[in-house]
Amino acid sequence: MRMSPVKQVLLHVFVVLFMLLLAFPMVFLLFNSFKTEQEIIASPMEVPREVTFVNYQEIFTESTFITNFKNSSIVALATVLLSIIVSTPAGYALSRFRFRGRTIFSVWLLATQSFPGIIMVLGLFTVLKTYHLLNTIPGLVIMYTSFSMPFGIWLLKGYFDKIPVALEEAARIDGCGRLRSLVKIVLPLSVPGLLAVGTFSLLLSWNEFFFALVIMRDNAHYTLPVFLARFMGSGGVVRWGPLSAAALLACIPVLILFMLGQKYLVSGLTGGAIK
Amino acid sequence: MMHSNRGAFNEERRAIPFLIPALVVLCGVSLYPLIQGITRMFYTYRALARETVFVGFQNVGLLFQDPLFLRAFSNSLVWTITSVGMQFVLSYWLATMLNSRFLRFRRMFRGIALVPWALPPVVVSLMWRYIFLNGGPLNTVLHSLGMAHPPNWLTDPQLALWTCIITNIWMGIPFVTVMLLAGLQTINKDIVDAAAIDGASYIQTQVNIIVPSIKKVVLIIFTLETIWTFNMFDIVFILTKGGPGNASLTLPLYAYENAFMYYQAGYGAAIGLLILLCLLVVIVFYIREVLR
Repeated sequence: MRMSPVKQVLLHVFVVLFMLLLAFPMVFLLFNSFKTEQEIIASPMEVPREVTFVNYQEIFTESTFITNFKNSSIVALATVLLSIIVSTPAGYALSRFRFRGRTIFSVWLLATQSFPGIIMVLGLFTVLKTYHLLNTIPGLVIMYTSFSMPFGIWLLKGYFDKIPVALEEAARIDGCGRLRSLVKIVLPLSVPGLLAVGTFSLLLSWNEFFFALVIMRDNAHYTLPVFLARFMGSGGVVRWGPLSAAALLACIPVLILFMLGQKYLVSGLTGGAIK
Repeated sequence: MMHSNRGAFNEERRAIPFLIPALVVLCGVSLYPLIQGITRMFYTYRALARETVFVGFQNVGLLFQDPLFLRAFSNSLVWTITSVGMQFVLSYWLATMLNSRFLRFRRMFRGIALVPWALPPVVVSLMWRYIFLNGGPLNTVLHSLGMAHPPNWLTDPQLALWTCIITNIWMGIPFVTVMLLAGLQTINKDIVDAAAIDGASYIQTQVNIIVPSIKKVVLIIFTLETIWTFNMFDIVFILTKGGPGNASLTLPLYAYENAFMYYQAGYGAAIGLLILLCLLVVIVFYIREVLR
């Protein structure tokens, strides 16, 4: 098949337009973070005339940004680890064993995706209150783990399915138990799957807003999305300079890690859908 | 027979230890809160008496007499259907282009197309709030293109919901594109070429050959995007707070306001139950289609 030169040029034009549309909005954050408030209002489109660092200085010294950044990092790291720890054995069980309730278990995992935030947050509020976990980082981590786990189990099951049972059987003849064969034989072969789960739970825990907004009650405990929403305030004048600086810094870690992990996440997501 | 039964029993016993951590999380942080959350709808908080009283299905009954709820419900339907539909159309277009043999720098383009996926929805929303600002970048461009009075994207009651929808479409494009792209890559190019030789038009080829062969991916995309979009809270909350005058109010936001601003957790839970019922229909449809 051939494609006429005109069509080829059009193809590239449209793709480039799409890319501009998808990437360009970020540029405003970058520009605004280096502009003074007056300049942002006077010339919303232009490159900063004079690069100023007052916005960055302000969010570092006059706000709780650093604390909230630290909170987000701890929450993300803990959620990633816990999600992997909880999802791995369950994914293995789904892949290797037949047990009663297996289908219900799988359907339940899918159904959790549809649970409305409002119902879950009301219920979780009560649960966390009972265990004195409201407004604490462990409380948030437990919640996020439960959100990322269904996906993690489903994805890892797909990975484990692809690993030949024969490999494990050989080891079991040599006296290797189930848990050991999971850790020693299956896991090393499913590193891409683990990275996919890690990337997914990182995105989820770093970016989640609604539950953090309800569960976290003060500046010292907010994660970055809540900090940003609070900084913007409700109504009134938004101070775009410092807000843009904080928003940009909040994006950078997750953007970098996502770019490193996206390959695994994408193949994990689509692997199950395509077979 | 005996043997295989015992084998199954043994397998089950061995599976349990592997399932325990997930079951604990599933019951404690998913099933129990779900039930607990739903039962909240049977209660209401009487502010004067400062007590929570059992009211049965009163909250559910109130829903359909509440014009604001009906408003939020119809807004949510518009929001979900147009968002998911447009996301699919635009992403399909982008994915077919990114899949083309004639495109150069494919890897680079595919990388860039993923950017909005990684960004926190809160950041996406405040970024677009700035772009849509009166006197912001978009209106500056429209003004310089000769539009004397560019629209008030965020404060015009006719437009506010659509502004939120545009933002949501933008944010959802990478996921849908990537999924479609993965599906498209599995298609045998010979079939497409054969269809072209037989004189099938572009649209015919897409609708009759390509979409059916990636049906599974398409189903997953529609199911997940419908659920995520219907439940989406962040964008409307940051962009318009449901305003102006509830013009862009959606169900998740209305439920939140009831539960956490008006002390009507019961009413919020009733709204939540309605959301849940709508989404379970989507899931049941998905499972039926997949099992077929």
